[in-house]
Amino acid sequence: MTDITVDGLVKTYGDVTALDDVSFEIPAGEFVIVLGVSGSGKSTLLRCLNGLTPPTDGEILVGDETATGPRRDMAMIFQQHNIIGQMSAYSNALTGTLGRTHFLGSLLQLQDREEKLMALEALETVGLLDEARQKARRMSGGQQQRVGIARALVQQPDVLLADEPVASLDPGSAQQVMGYLRTAAEERGLTTVTSLHQVNLARKFGQRFVGLRDGRKVFDGYRDELTMDTIDEIYGDIDTEGMLAETDIDGDDEETIDQPAAGGGPVA
Amino acid sequence: MSAEAPSGEERETEERLERIRRTRLYGVLKGVSFVLILALLFREALKAAGLIQSGTEYNTPYFLRKLTDFIPLTTYQGVPFVDFGAYLSFIGERDLLFASDISLLWTDPPALISEVGAILIQDGFFALFGVAGITLAVGFAGTVLGFPLALLFGVLGSERVLPFPLNFVFRGTMSAIRAIPALVWILIYIPLAGVTPVSAVFAVATDTIGNLGRLFTDELEEIKEGPIEAMETTGASRPQTVTFGMLSQVTTPYIAWTLYIFEINVRIAVSLGVLGAGGLGSVVKTQIGLTYFDNAMATLLCIFLLIISVELFSQRIRSRLRSETEKMSLRELVFGFPRRFAESLMR
Repeated sequence: MTDITVDGLVKTYGDVTALDDVSFEIPAGEFVIVLGVSGSGKSTLLRCLNGLTPPTDGEILVGDETATGPRRDMAMIFQQHNIIGQMSAYSNALTGTLGRTHFLGSLLQLQDREEKLMALEALETVGLLDEARQKARRMSGGQQQRVGIARALVQQPDVLLADEPVASLDPGSAQQVMGYLRTAAEERGLTTVTSLHQVNLARKFGQRFVGLRDGRKVFDGYRDELTMDTIDEIYGDIDTEGMLAETDIDGDDEETIDQPAAGGGPVA
Repeated sequence: MSAEAPSGEERETEERLERIRRTRLYGVLKGVSFVLILALLFREALKAAGLIQSGTEYNTPYFLRKLTDFIPLTTYQGVPFVDFGAYLSFIGERDLLFASDISLLWTDPPALISEVGAILIQDGFFALFGVAGITLAVGFAGTVLGFPLALLFGVLGSERVLPFPLNFVFRGTMSAIRAIPALVWILIYIPLAGVTPVSAVFAVATDTIGNLGRLFTDELEEIKEGPIEAMETTGASRPQTVTFGMLSQVTTPYIAWTLYIFEINVRIAVSLGVLGAGGLGSVVKTQIGLTYFDNAMATLLCIFLLIISVELFSQRIRSRLRSETEKMSLRELVFGFPRRFAESLMR
């Protein structure tokens, strides 16, 4: 169980300020969704948390350590899946063990039996056990993203970061993937930070919300505090009524719409 | 644009059209001057090479007469006919394509099988193809020998793997190797093993490091950043990130490029043979030297057959690798062959 503390985080790219004095604390095991329009700094925040991007100023504490670079106990799920298309779903899931396997062992897939079983279990968690031997690039976008989640789970992290994990998926797959994410986080007690731009999905799956606008934190609160007004503040002067319209429907149509994604061709 | 549109707007579109026309005119002028410069340079090049000098004399009739020496003629019931029999008998006699006697196939098949078996056991697979087998073996062995170093240099030559000044050591080495053609490399290796297929293998292998390595480096420039970052976030070590994040993205193109270089290497093996390093190339050189042009032509036909076979083989594997669709069934593989054969020839 790992908590995260972000204190006065600033990130600038030349003249552009991507993050402007962002601070918050996340207790261990919380499922946090970062909301905001494109370009509001969500991705930068997640990349800073992961250590992929060094912050310009401020401090990030993960557990007791300052985040300086990618680390084994922190897994990341990417918007573009970033799984390896040439390899099977199983081999991709197994790359989650790289941090604790030596080079030759990982090259020849000599991981322990338990590690290999763990990879298959992770695939089972995301509902891809039957597709384990399938080449990742032949899979649909939703399946590829689930392989990405499996890889993150195999990594056995304490913290799970997800950057727009469902942005390139159709609504059915998006719900499904968010569902898997939430379940996995709950089962394993992971501290989770995920960015999303769909308010309805966020409302449905989120526990706590951090709203970003132009790199500033404009909202930080739990589900009951996420009202129309706060959403207006995060998203600016756009018609947000439509966004909230669906949010009261809770998990009823999930099973019926998740199927089309499973059999389709790869999504670019 | 409708007739009652305000004149201001109309003027604006007219101005825009005028500007587009002007840009297009500049484009045409640029194109014309480019072609003119090219033509001028071409003329200069012809002059430098002596093609349009007044002193150059062409002996066309003699050349054409000599060309017919390559084609032995025979008459079949009074009609002149290319004597393929002469070609075939030379090919058979010298074991250019096949180490055993192919005519046994219709006279005594069991004898052929036992002879082929004996050759395979005694002299190995490549010996079965006679002289062509040597050329093929030089190309193949050179490719396999050069591959590991090409991979090492190619990968380390990429700026994505090694930071800028360091990767240049490997890039530079590959450039230096490429600057020297294989025909010169074999001259360098002659003191080591004489003018033999051994030197030819070394020359081809060295050439492979330069050329294949460069293709490997270039291919790495095309890869996506995402999987690399993803591997980093799993806590992978640097070699693991390179292997899984980068090389796994390029395995298919790497195999395809290696096959392509193999094709080229068989061709290089032919030209090294002309220098005397054995194989079909050596036979061509000897026969032309002896002014047995018909025999040389027979050997050229064998070269043609060898190169085409290697190309077809490599092209089939490559298109199979690149195809996203499911693998062909055995039936399609066998019965669809003539169509695919024709298609690859057209390419």
